[in-house]
Amino acid sequence: MADFLTAHAPTLTHWLVLTSALFAIGLYGMLTRRNAVGVLMSLELCLNAAAVNFVLFNRYLAPTAQGGAERLDGAVMTIFVIAVAAAEVVVGMAIFVAMYAERRTVDVTRLDALKD
Amino acid sequence: MLASAIPTLVFYLLAAISLTLAWSVVTGRRILRAAVSLMGVLAASAGLYLLLDSPFLAGVQVLVYVGGIVVLLVFAVMLTRTTELLEDHPTRARQIVGGAVATGFFLLSYNMMTADAFVGRTLSPLPKNDVAAIGRALLDTGENGYALPFEVVSLLLLAAMIGGIVIARKPAVAAKPEAFHG
Amino acid sequence: MPPLSFILTHAWLIPAIPLLSFLLVGLVLRPVSQKLAGLVATLAVGTSAGLSWLLAWDFLHLVPHGQPLPALVPWSFQWLHFQENFAINLGTLLDPISVMLLVVVTTVSTLVHIYSTGYMHGEPGYARYFAFLNLFTFSMLGLVLAPNLVQMYVCWELVGASSFFLIGFYFEKPSAVSASKKAFIVTRFADLGFLLGILVIGFYAYQIHGAMAPDLLHGQQPLDFAFLTRPDVLARLAGLNVHFLGVGVLTLSAVLIYMGGAGKSAMFPLHIWLPDAMEGPTPVSALIHAATMVVAGVYLVARCFPIFATSGEALTVVMSIGAFTSLFAAVIGCTQDDIKRVLAFSTLSQLGYMMFALGVASFAHPLGYSASMFHLFTHAFFKALLFLGAGSVIHAVHSNDIWHMGGLRKHMPITHALFLIATLAIAGIYPLAGFFSKDEILAAALHSGHTVVFGVGLLVAGMTAFYMFRIYFVTFWGKPRSEHAAHPHESPWVMLAPMAFLGVLSIGAGFVPIPEWVQLPGAPVEHEGIDLAVAIPSTILALAGISLAWLLYGGAPERVDNLVKKLGGFYVAAKNKFYFDEFYLFVTHSVIFRFVAQPIAWFDRNIVDGLVNLGGWFARTAGLLLGKLQTGQVQTYGSWLVSGVIAVVFVLWGVLKSGGN
Repeated sequence: MADFLTAHAPTLTHWLVLTSALFAIGLYGMLTRRNAVGVLMSLELCLNAAAVNFVLFNRYLAPTAQGGAERLDGAVMTIFVIAVAAAEVVVGMAIFVAMYAERRTVDVTRLDALKD
Repeated sequence: MLASAIPTLVFYLLAAISLTLAWSVVTGRRILRAAVSLMGVLAASAGLYLLLDSPFLAGVQVLVYVGGIVVLLVFAVMLTRTTELLEDHPTRARQIVGGAVATGFFLLSYNMMTADAFVGRTLSPLPKNDVAAIGRALLDTGENGYALPFEVVSLLLLAAMIGGIVIARKPAVAAKPEAFHG
Repeated sequence: MPPLSFILTHAWLIPAIPLLSFLLVGLVLRPVSQKLAGLVATLAVGTSAGLSWLLAWDFLHLVPHGQPLPALVPWSFQWLHFQENFAINLGTLLDPISVMLLVVVTTVSTLVHIYSTGYMHGEPGYARYFAFLNLFTFSMLGLVLAPNLVQMYVCWELVGASSFFLIGFYFEKPSAVSASKKAFIVTRFADLGFLLGILVIGFYAYQIHGAMAPDLLHGQQPLDFAFLTRPDVLARLAGLNVHFLGVGVLTLSAVLIYMGGAGKSAMFPLHIWLPDAMEGPTPVSALIHAATMVVAGVYLVARCFPIFATSGEALTVVMSIGAFTSLFAAVIGCTQDDIKRVLAFSTLSQLGYMMFALGVASFAHPLGYSASMFHLFTHAFFKALLFLGAGSVIHAVHSNDIWHMGGLRKHMPITHALFLIATLAIAGIYPLAGFFSKDEILAAALHSGHTVVFGVGLLVAGMTAFYMFRIYFVTFWGKPRSEHAAHPHESPWVMLAPMAFLGVLSIGAGFVPIPEWVQLPGAPVEHEGIDLAVAIPSTILALAGISLAWLLYGGAPERVDNLVKKLGGFYVAAKNKFYFDEFYLFVTHSVIFRFVAQPIAWFDRNIVDGLVNLGGWFARTAGLLLGKLQTGQVQTYGSWLVSGVIAVVFVLWGVLKSGGN
């Protein structure tokens, strides 16, 4: 068992397939969820997958100096992504609340003002 | 032997949890349950960060994402809750289109991610004190520093906060225009 | 030759003044003051008339007495430059006939302007009327002075347009509108022939022009009359071995040009527009449809006479059509009841006279050329007087029908006297103007050996006397036959004064030695006073016509009715103008409209429009289908967006991969 697991230790490719799958699921949710809050949550899935990817590439691909990685750009980017996601959720939820007060719905299929 | 076997086991476990919960986030009928699943996905991601030797990011993930954002989402859902908000029935056509597009994206991404350039890469060693290194990078004004994006993000957060308040506030004055006619 | 005087070198002033006045009256004065507009227009034309008389005086004194008068272009500028040796100029051509016509046009135009200030008084559109009269005068003068075919063609169309405007002056009346359309379409149709003639002759003249040595050209351009009428050029044109429908280039172009002239001068079978053109105000009929514009066709043939004479065949066409028209119109003229229509048919008949006079002329017997121009000169005055007199009568009686008039001689003595003078003049009674010119024409026909034409001319002379005196007697003698005719008022002096002036000219014009001045260049002088062998029979026939008119119409009208019954069908046919209008209507409506225009219209409506509509339908449907894509659903947009991204990345990836290998 342990030998099997050691032989199948995750490589970069496994990680990337995982994050791709998470992103694709998030994309599916964005395109199918009728509830605006659901769309926002799917978006969070995508953002999260992307944030993991940043760390991933940083850990596997960043140039190394003696004693460790030279740069931590991926980690910094992940922090930015989390911050931006927070801001986005704040604004998004505020918009939904206002929209709900105005139109009594947050069903995105019924918000088709773009057609006009 | 065991030391390298456990992370592998943890990785697959976390991957399975993430994918399952993510699926329930996008397909769950009830929005609150979806929010709880999202919390699970994000927590699993924090575990993934730990696997990648980034405990600081894992901490940030739990504090901000799980503790902040999802709680905000749940609050907002509770504040404006209706039956419509709690239930979700996407049409069949939309499910097919969305599924096709998402599958297409995954296939494309899979093909690219399994390209030769990423094969055989190994984890590079981290600097010992990575939290201090991240802090220096964020505040460094030099060539490799992120002082300017850091300030921009702080402004963005401020703007989002103010904007959120302004947008969500009840339109107290504009709601009664007849008052001005006397 | 002495140096040219100011007015000879600045002859362009004569058409320029009416043009400026047209612009001033039409654009500035019309809304301001009707009275001022009429005054300015009249003064402008009057100035032109004065200048024309000065010019004629100077022109006649260019050479010593007895020598032929020159033809010169003292002023011109290049208008269209096509090539080194092909340009078209605008300019003023001064030769005996252009100077003569200049005087006639400006004089009659001035008198008509003065008359119109009285006749049109109080009419709505008074200023518009004068603006168009000025435009017409300008166009006609430009036509007269044209040194080449192109300028003539441009002015030719301009007179056609101004004639259209003036015939349709009372555009509230449907009959006036249809008459103006008829005049425009018929003459425009004829002008197509003129244009084709210009193109045909211009094409070959250009080639001859290019082949000639430059020092032989004297700066002439291919379409200049001076170039086209040169004997050497004509010889080369006649020698061209190019035939179309068995006709040589020279004859073909001459006949085509004649077609334009025949349209404008209302020769058979294009005569149908002229009687209807009487829908215009009477002074317009006097100016345009009697004295000036309708003689443009005669003038054109005279201007191009060497071309016709060299062709010979074309000249025969001119003569035959002219003689036939003069007889044909005279017969119809005997039966009409509308005073203006009788005058219109009389104009047709006299134009036929002028045309056949040109037709009998040749380089060997050039008398017809001079005679035609002489008749053009005298006819302008007495026919204008007849129209103005008729206008005066119509003004008083408020009707055009001669059977609504009668007994007017007591109430309108001045009009009566002047009308009588003009009637005698057109009938050809010595010593009035018509006698001399008609005598010349008949002599020309006789001496050139065209006996049949001479016989027709004599007959027409007698008939002219008959029908003119018929309307004279019916209008001015007998008893009043209507309410208005019983108490008519003599016209005001602004109308009578120009008529009196024309009366003087109608008496005196015959003594102006036009035939001496107007000679065919390069032909022997042929002028021989009054030929008694011609004068006596024509006078006898004229007197016979007058007597017959007196017998029939001077007293009891029953005799007329009896005669009409005896003539039967022929009278009815003549009264209906031999059904030519009906024939044309049949041809245009039943044949052309049904078998040509309607299929073309169908083709246009269904095939051409159909194609266009198909394009429109396609765009519309495509738009609707594309519009369906815009659902307003963010998620649909998102699907498209991501699909697009996938496609782009896929393509890009493929390109990069293949590029990498």
